[in-house]
Amino acid sequence: MPELSLVVNGEQHRLEVEGRTLLVHALRDELGLTGAHIGCDTSQCGACTVLLDGAAVKSCTLLALQADGREVTTIEGFATDGELHPLQRAFVDHHGLQCGFCTPGIILTAADLLSRTSSPSDDEIRQALRGNLCRCTGYQAIVESIRAAGAAT
Amino acid sequence: MSDTSLIGVARPRVDAREKVTGATRYAADGYVHGLLHARPVLATEPHARILRVDGEAALSIPGVVAVLTASDLPIASPGTDRTSEPLAREEVVFAGQPIALVVAETEAAAEDGAEAVLVEYEPLEPVVDVEAAMRPGAALARVVEASDDEAGDLESIHAGVDHGQEDDSEEQLSENVLDRVTRDRGDLEAAFAASDAIVEGTFRTPWVYQAYLEPQVCTAWLEPSGTLVVSTSTQGSFVTRRELARAFDIPLEDIRVVAEPLGGAFGGKFALVEPLAVGAALALERPVRLVLTRGEDFQATNPASAQVTHLKLGARKDGTFTGIEGRLIVDRGSNAGWGVEGTSSLLVAGPYRWDAHDLRGYGVQTNRFTFGAYRAPGAPTAAFAVESLLDELAAKLGLDPVEMRLKNAFVEGDLSVSGNPIPTIGAVEVLERIREHPLWAERAALPEGEGIGLALGYWPGGNEPAAAVCRVNADGSMTVVTAAADMSGVNSAFAVIAAEAFGLSPDRIRVVTADTSSGPYSGASGGSKVTYTVGAAVLRAAESAREKLLAAASQELEIATNDLEVVDGVVRAIGAPDRSITVEELAQMALRFGGRYEPIEGHGGSAQTRGAPSVAAHISHVRVDRETGEVEVLGHVIAQDVGRALNPALVEGQMRGGTTQGIGWALYEQLEHDEDGRLLTGSFLDYAIPRAENVPEIDTLIVEVPAPDGPYGAKGIGEAPVVAAPAAVANAVAAALGTRLYELPMTPPRIWEALRS
Amino acid sequence: MIPAPTRYARATDLDHALELLEEEDAKAIAGGQSLLPVMKLRIARPSVVVDISRLDLRGVEAREGELHIGPLTTWAELLRAEAVDRPSLAAIRECAQGIGDLQVRNLGTIGGSIAHADPASDMPAVLLALGARLHLRSPERERELPLGEALVGPFLTAIAATELLTDVVVPLPPACSGSAYASLEHPASGFALVGAAALVEPDREAVALTGVGATPFLLDGDPEQAIAGAEIYGDRFASAEYRRGLAAVLAGRALESARRRAREDR
Repeated sequence: MPELSLVVNGEQHRLEVEGRTLLVHALRDELGLTGAHIGCDTSQCGACTVLLDGAAVKSCTLLALQADGREVTTIEGFATDGELHPLQRAFVDHHGLQCGFCTPGIILTAADLLSRTSSPSDDEIRQALRGNLCRCTGYQAIVESIRAAGAAT
Repeated sequence: MSDTSLIGVARPRVDAREKVTGATRYAADGYVHGLLHARPVLATEPHARILRVDGEAALSIPGVVAVLTASDLPIASPGTDRTSEPLAREEVVFAGQPIALVVAETEAAAEDGAEAVLVEYEPLEPVVDVEAAMRPGAALARVVEASDDEAGDLESIHAGVDHGQEDDSEEQLSENVLDRVTRDRGDLEAAFAASDAIVEGTFRTPWVYQAYLEPQVCTAWLEPSGTLVVSTSTQGSFVTRRELARAFDIPLEDIRVVAEPLGGAFGGKFALVEPLAVGAALALERPVRLVLTRGEDFQATNPASAQVTHLKLGARKDGTFTGIEGRLIVDRGSNAGWGVEGTSSLLVAGPYRWDAHDLRGYGVQTNRFTFGAYRAPGAPTAAFAVESLLDELAAKLGLDPVEMRLKNAFVEGDLSVSGNPIPTIGAVEVLERIREHPLWAERAALPEGEGIGLALGYWPGGNEPAAAVCRVNADGSMTVVTAAADMSGVNSAFAVIAAEAFGLSPDRIRVVTADTSSGPYSGASGGSKVTYTVGAAVLRAAESAREKLLAAASQELEIATNDLEVVDGVVRAIGAPDRSITVEELAQMALRFGGRYEPIEGHGGSAQTRGAPSVAAHISHVRVDRETGEVEVLGHVIAQDVGRALNPALVEGQMRGGTTQGIGWALYEQLEHDEDGRLLTGSFLDYAIPRAENVPEIDTLIVEVPAPDGPYGAKGIGEAPVVAAPAAVANAVAAALGTRLYELPMTPPRIWEALRS
Repeated sequence: MIPAPTRYARATDLDHALELLEEEDAKAIAGGQSLLPVMKLRIARPSVVVDISRLDLRGVEAREGELHIGPLTTWAELLRAEAVDRPSLAAIRECAQGIGDLQVRNLGTIGGSIAHADPASDMPAVLLALGARLHLRSPERERELPLGEALVGPFLTAIAATELLTDVVVPLPPACSGSAYASLEHPASGFALVGAAALVEPDREAVALTGVGATPFLLDGDPEQAIAGAEIYGDRFASAEYRRGLAAVLAGRALESARRRAREDR
């Protein structure tokens, strides 16, 4: 079986995967990182979003082998030494979640947005969330959380 | 204890931290040793006899362990509901119905296997036109087995709604009509004759999908002791246990159902995938997990039914309502067990008084998926019809839409069309509150292409007895134990209730969702009743634990219990706070070898019989692009009577989430079938749910009319927010366009069409 | 959900890529944002997926009167490229902003989208209006093909199985030019129900449509007349009649916007 070498949340890993194995399955099944969730099969929902070399991507729409030699950050790698990342703290404090299934993906998409635009407008935030579906919140608390995180960093 | 400082504080939810760190283990996340993976084979014919299922090619694929059909599953019950017939036996009644289950060592192999299974069908005539299906002599949607179902009690978990009067109609209808509900009272003819204005219309809503982000999933296995363990994403562990016990003829206590954290449910997660996983686990005697793909979830679960509502209503010129006549036809798909005819025919009368009514609901079977519950089942459809017509009525009579509704809105004691008296309700209060919102005043002077609309809706709520335990731990913290699945954030409500009732900070309270083996009884989470019923049980359990605490403290401090108070983990003398002992100290005296006091634990139960309906009023502000038909929702306000907002942040979340689903109903969502009944819109590429850019900021107005039997006056509030939201958007679009659409969703092509015809 | 079994190979350079693509049923993957979804639905079942993403075919550069867009340029990179930041090329950015979503734009490439040839994809309409040409390389030859000739049918191009896109070339419009893109998206898929791209130069105007035919296409002559006489596709969600009306509206809006930008372009 082909071998995949990649850094996940700062740790080097060598995995055996199939040619067809999707990155999301490699993360969930081989590495036990179940924070990337599978919510659809047509690359719409964004619940599987992770950072690939710092850019938000849908891990369900990537072959694991495409990530060979690259760095992946999942939600599990976001807090440092038990300290929540400002985005995570903002989502807790501003109630940006309900069932939580979409939350890791949204936080990582927001991380990408905030790395490029330091204080995005609400419109920019909503546009940036086009690839992340949420069924519970109506998005407002999510936008408020991202806005607050943007202001804090 | 009168100080209620913990109630009404916006606090992060108790599970927020684990959710934002990805630590929450949803039902598909846990590791199980020796796990097999299942993949269903779904019917491609909407109505057919199954001649042959050929799994030979599938079995030759490496990793595939079994290809199971109905006869391989040890089902004992003969019914045709999804629990008794998880795999079609002889007759396929909808395209997408599971016919076989391929089980393999890996998910990939299971999918390879499912692709290789061959099914031979003898096609039968598909029944797709609901109204044609009702006529005597129409082809039947189910031919092989009579739909004589005991679908357990699945209907009753969704609403405390009756079935109307005995049906004595002389109407001749085909056997596709599974249920008729009749509600009539008073002289309708006379009522219409006394009216100064009458309006009528036919309203259509499509099949609509709950679209919970987490597809349905269940893992089942047999313990060495023989206990069947079912780890599942479900709204009701006890309900699921009961259904599985019935279907597989297993004693209740030999099944342990574990309700895992829910990735959304909204009514759709009741005993659909569990029978499949359980059947496979029992047949193969190995652990089996079934995680539906989104495509399978679209095709094979249980969305909200399509409905046609013919409605006619009248009023006098002073605005008092006279009569209402309705005929509601509900497409139940292949769900023979229950439908929303009862609820929809009740709610189509809105939260209003009528002199006379004649409302009939028909549940018709067709060859489409089994209909299921979706947040306030039957209510958004009903409100769309009545609230649209009420706007027309107000226009005809030259009356203000809010004033006219206020004139007729329920107050406590009024009779609903079910003949039952309305309990405490905040209909008047929410109307008065929303009337003050600046957006309502703007409606007169809007730019071209914009419109503002208002609508009112309610949900009756539900009752079910419940129990809870509050247990103090050796460190002075408390664990609250219920078996209620946390669908809407109820665990956070329980923490605050227990904290308030006992005398601890909510930070010292942990809430545990127990399984059916160890948990106190809880009904399903749904019907807007968990906060009301389980919350009340938690309150009593906390009070009971407090009694034990005070009994021990009283002995230690030598002070009468009446003279003691519990504040933030400390028991102290009222008026002399230095005479105190901590909860932790007392707990340690109890929880040790040779200890002198009973463990500080309380058990509480509830069995409310009084209902606690919730009402919500909406104002929607839209702009329509007349050249393209696109609708932009510029603003939205919701005022809801919530009883008591235990945690305003969570209450607002429900209000916004429900409103957003209502915007989806209004503008985006429809499941479509072809002329044979095959699903055309089976993915998020075809089925649009609102995205962040489609939803405006939603102003939330919390109105508190305490529910007498609810914990601190709180009640269930999860469903009311969606009910009148689509109607408000429809009324806004009608105001913007100058013409009304009678069908949802109001897509750009439909609006464009309406402007040109 | 899980693709059919396939092998994976990574190309180290262009020649290596062409060699790998000689295998029957081999498919090149760049960002995978078009290919993987159809592989997951098991509609596409390549024998081997040839990862060309690390080839040196990225970058956006204006030189000698032409804009060169490397086919492996992602939408995100295209949006950030300075070379497209001018009123005459504004349609490129305007269109790219609405393609997919943030995550898709981080990986999806312009070359991948062109090769995939979805009849409702947005950028080809803009490229047609701008008069784009494709540079192609196969083991035997290099050739140039106008985009209009490359787009043959739904998901069908004139690019051979053993050919790779090496450059997308757009002539830089003269001074006082403007371009724009207007579309109405399907609310679920985000694909264009109708997309209209317009280029306005001092002496000519060009309009191209997407979402309404077997391929995106350039309008011949007066846009209103061309739309009235064109073969327009429709479906259950949006009828041909609606799309025809919409095409006229959006073409008009794109032209208006392009004209306004032309006035700003000094």
